Amino acid sequence: MTAAISILQALLLIVAAPLVRGTIARLKAILQNRRGASVWRPYADLLKLFRKEDLVPTTASSVFRVAPRAVFAATVAAVLFVPVLHAAAALSLAGDFIILVYLLALARFFLMLGAMDGGSSFGGMGASREALVSTLAEAPFLLSITAVAIVAREMSLSGIARWSLAQDPSRISAVHVLAFAALALVAIAETGRIPVDNPTTHLELTMIHEAMVLEYSGPSLAWIEWASSVKLSLVLALLVALFMPWGMMASPSALGMALAIAAFLLKFVLLAAVVAVGESSIAKLRMYLVPDFLGVASALAILAVVFTAVMR
Amino acid sequence: MLISVLLIPLLGAFAVLACRSPRLATRVALTIGALEMLAIGNVVWQVNRSGVLTAGRYLRADSLTSFFLINIGLIFGLVLTYSVGYLRHIPEGRFSSPRWFYGLVFLFLFTMVSVYLSANLGLLWIFVEATTLASALLVGYYNTEGAVEAGWKYLIVCTVGIAFALFGTITLYLAAVRAGVNPVDALDWSTLMSAAPALAGMRDLVKLAFVFVIVGYGTKIGFVPMHSWLPDAHAEAPSPISALLSAVLLNCAMYALMRFDAITCRAIGSGFSHTLLLIFGAVSIAVAALLMIVQHDLKRLLAYSSIEHMGIVAVGVGIGGPLGLYGALLHTFNHSIAKTLLFFSAGNVREHFGTLRMDRIRGMARFLPWTTGGMLVGGLAIVGMPPFGLFISEFLILTAAFTQGKYWVAAITLAGLSVVFGALLHHVQKMLSGERTQPPGETATWLPGAPKVLLTDIGPMAACGAALLVLGIRIPVSFVELLRRAMAVLS
Amino acid sequence: MGLVHFAAEKTLASSAVLLFITVLMMAAARRISTCIMLFAAQCAIITAQILAMAYVHRSPEAYAIAGFMLVIKVLTIPYALSWIVEKLKAPRDVTASTTPAQSVFIVSALILLSFFAIGPYMQVLRVDEDVLAAAITLVLTGAFLMVSRTKALMQVIGLLVLENGIFLAALVTTFGMPLIIEIGVLFDLLMGVFLMGLFVFRIRDTFDHLDVSKLRKLRG
Repeated sequence: MTAAISILQALLLIVAAPLVRGTIARLKAILQNRRGASVWRPYADLLKLFRKEDLVPTTASSVFRVAPRAVFAATVAAVLFVPVLHAAAALSLAGDFIILVYLLALARFFLMLGAMDGGSSFGGMGASREALVSTLAEAPFLLSITAVAIVAREMSLSGIARWSLAQDPSRISAVHVLAFAALALVAIAETGRIPVDNPTTHLELTMIHEAMVLEYSGPSLAWIEWASSVKLSLVLALLVALFMPWGMMASPSALGMALAIAAFLLKFVLLAAVVAVGESSIAKLRMYLVPDFLGVASALAILAVVFTAVMR
Repeated sequence: MLISVLLIPLLGAFAVLACRSPRLATRVALTIGALEMLAIGNVVWQVNRSGVLTAGRYLRADSLTSFFLINIGLIFGLVLTYSVGYLRHIPEGRFSSPRWFYGLVFLFLFTMVSVYLSANLGLLWIFVEATTLASALLVGYYNTEGAVEAGWKYLIVCTVGIAFALFGTITLYLAAVRAGVNPVDALDWSTLMSAAPALAGMRDLVKLAFVFVIVGYGTKIGFVPMHSWLPDAHAEAPSPISALLSAVLLNCAMYALMRFDAITCRAIGSGFSHTLLLIFGAVSIAVAALLMIVQHDLKRLLAYSSIEHMGIVAVGVGIGGPLGLYGALLHTFNHSIAKTLLFFSAGNVREHFGTLRMDRIRGMARFLPWTTGGMLVGGLAIVGMPPFGLFISEFLILTAAFTQGKYWVAAITLAGLSVVFGALLHHVQKMLSGERTQPPGETATWLPGAPKVLLTDIGPMAACGAALLVLGIRIPVSFVELLRRAMAVLS
Repeated sequence: MGLVHFAAEKTLASSAVLLFITVLMMAAARRISTCIMLFAAQCAIITAQILAMAYVHRSPEAYAIAGFMLVIKVLTIPYALSWIVEKLKAPRDVTASTTPAQSVFIVSALILLSFFAIGPYMQVLRVDEDVLAAAITLVLTGAFLMVSRTKALMQVIGLLVLENGIFLAALVTTFGMPLIIEIGVLFDLLMGVFLMGLFVFRIRDTFDHLDVSKLRKLRG
């Protein structure tokens, strides 16, 4: 039973990912006083892309075709570690958050390879920028989750979620606030949102993620777009599971399932709204300021880890 | 009675500000100044008769208070007289009319007198901070680049320093409350003095409190290394204000420190606090003396001299005992008179030569005979030559140092005094003789046809000189008695 | 009653964390108006702390102090500062000698330093360790802001944060000094801010810029 729910929650994240993206886009449009596309638009886009054909540059090798599938596979594998509906993910090991971070790094690695293999200069530029951002984002990513793990005395994401469920929500813990702040900043960097990267830009010199996928088309592009949506949902689900997991069901039951799905939808809509509002009110940082942005995240994450020894 | 000493300058400030014409403002100011001096005299006489005077829970005057009130009354009267003539030279500007000057000066006086009359350490803090606020606009009075920079630095550095003093005050309050003193009275100075032995159990807190207080109020006094604001502020302010700052305000802050020191000594013995005072004093003397050699600006030179003399006072308090404390108190008085004299001379020099750079001033003896006399007398007095008063107070402090075995401190003090002797006289002597290097009248701001040097410029200087002589040759017995009683308050 | 008690308890438990957050945000801030708002938030947190303590210790004086604090520090001073920023028509960025990341690192180090600094005194003072550490952090951060931010108005804000820290330290160790002293301190602060505002305008008029690191005419 629990295994079925765990698989279900992973599938939920993967299938609902484009919806999350569509919601954010719709909310941003409303904030900008436009009507905006329907929230189901990303699904239509994916279907359209899957029906088209792959155009491959003549200078590209087999890496170019393999990369998008590898990206999707790695991202989906990472999803299996995150608890969404109940505090047990499909896969749960001690230290699985490290595996998660490196699965995302693997996905990024293939993306960068594919971008460079495409042969255009923008691909190389996007890849190098992505390398910079991801290198700086990795430390705070790991440290913030480590801080939470130290406080919870649990080594797996599911264990941490279980511990957080048992906590009193009205008590503000310094470690968690700092870790949340650090992880939120990292989330912005990892998912390529404003202020680090603009996902809707058409100016090549301001692109990071978009520059890497400039050469892709057809099903390859579909896999990459879907993988990027799944990554966004994954990071949001991670934030929810670590810091605000209340609503997850303790034991399998129909009522618990309904509650868990409702809580999941509510929290995701809220987070989508926060992302939309944030993106609409802040300007994108210039590239040389991004390391400083991630430096703040690192400082907060380090402080969170040190605080586990200082404050209760 | 006590309230009148506070209310006269406060109300007087508003009265002066309300005057329309400068002449009326000057007359009102002089009247109020005279009234204030009468009120101070009244308080001093009453304290002499009955020992301690209180008004309500927050105002108190004992012998130490009356000693310092005499100081402020005297200097203030001299400054007011001098300002009458000096204000001719200040260019008209947005806040630069005589009524603003006198208004601000009276507010400044109000805050300083309130410091002296505070019975409560918290109130003391509030009014010391208020003196900074009241004098900041006076420091920046000329509105030149230098004046604005000096005013800003003064405001910021002193406010930060005084914030530390607040922390020290709070820590002492905490120690008192924890030692069992009633929280309502735990900031009252006389209560703390009588309850001080009970504070002996809170050693760490009392020590911490004193450290913060000496750093905090020491910023206001001008101890090195917190002195960075002092040369700028005293140099850029108008000369009568510089005199008030150097002569009275520094004494005010030193008074606050002395009150704290008294409590600390009674609570945990004098070892800790007096060691700190000696360190700060000796370092201030040394650094100020050395920096005096390389000065170019006359008023900055005098400002560093103030730092040095405050260091000497700190050394005197730090040595303690009948000789040390007596010498320190006497020195605050002597220094204020000598410094006032010197700043008045500097003011005359500035107005005649148009500059305060000592390398450009030559031939003073020929063109400003009275001012030259004042500068000579002041210069000799400030370096400690007999027969002027500072010789006596410095001699007492050095004797105390030697008898108590504080040889290092005495050596540094002596060395500092020697360096100052050489530096100051070198600078002054250069200005007095020689041919003038720039023609008069071009840069000086004389009204056509007006007399160059007024009686109000010279009169106060002569009074200062006379006072210094009196204090150097034979101090009046009643004054000695007052000093003795002031000392008794502190020990 | 139960709700008020609950609120007071939660306030006392979480004010230290909230103050640390405001301090870190102030270190990373890039605009002066952000700093002013964070300062107002800090004062609001401290006011809430005073109210909670007033409720717990049942002291009417503390309610009065909280009221004055609210009026003067949460409303008047930030409003005055914002008014000055608007009137100055100067660029609104915080010119700092350290980047936001470096500032956050330094402030984190200061936070840890304050925890270390109060360690020896914890036996003598039986108080909430977190809040006292927060107070010392405010003092150190205020000093850091004054040193690293070169705009005149930022020095004023740093000074205000420093005084906030001292105020909070007084509050948490002694439950406040006598009422009249607290009021006097607050009024002193208000006057100080007005005077500093006046001086900022004078600096702008005399020098045509607001960079205090360029005020180096007087030296030696």
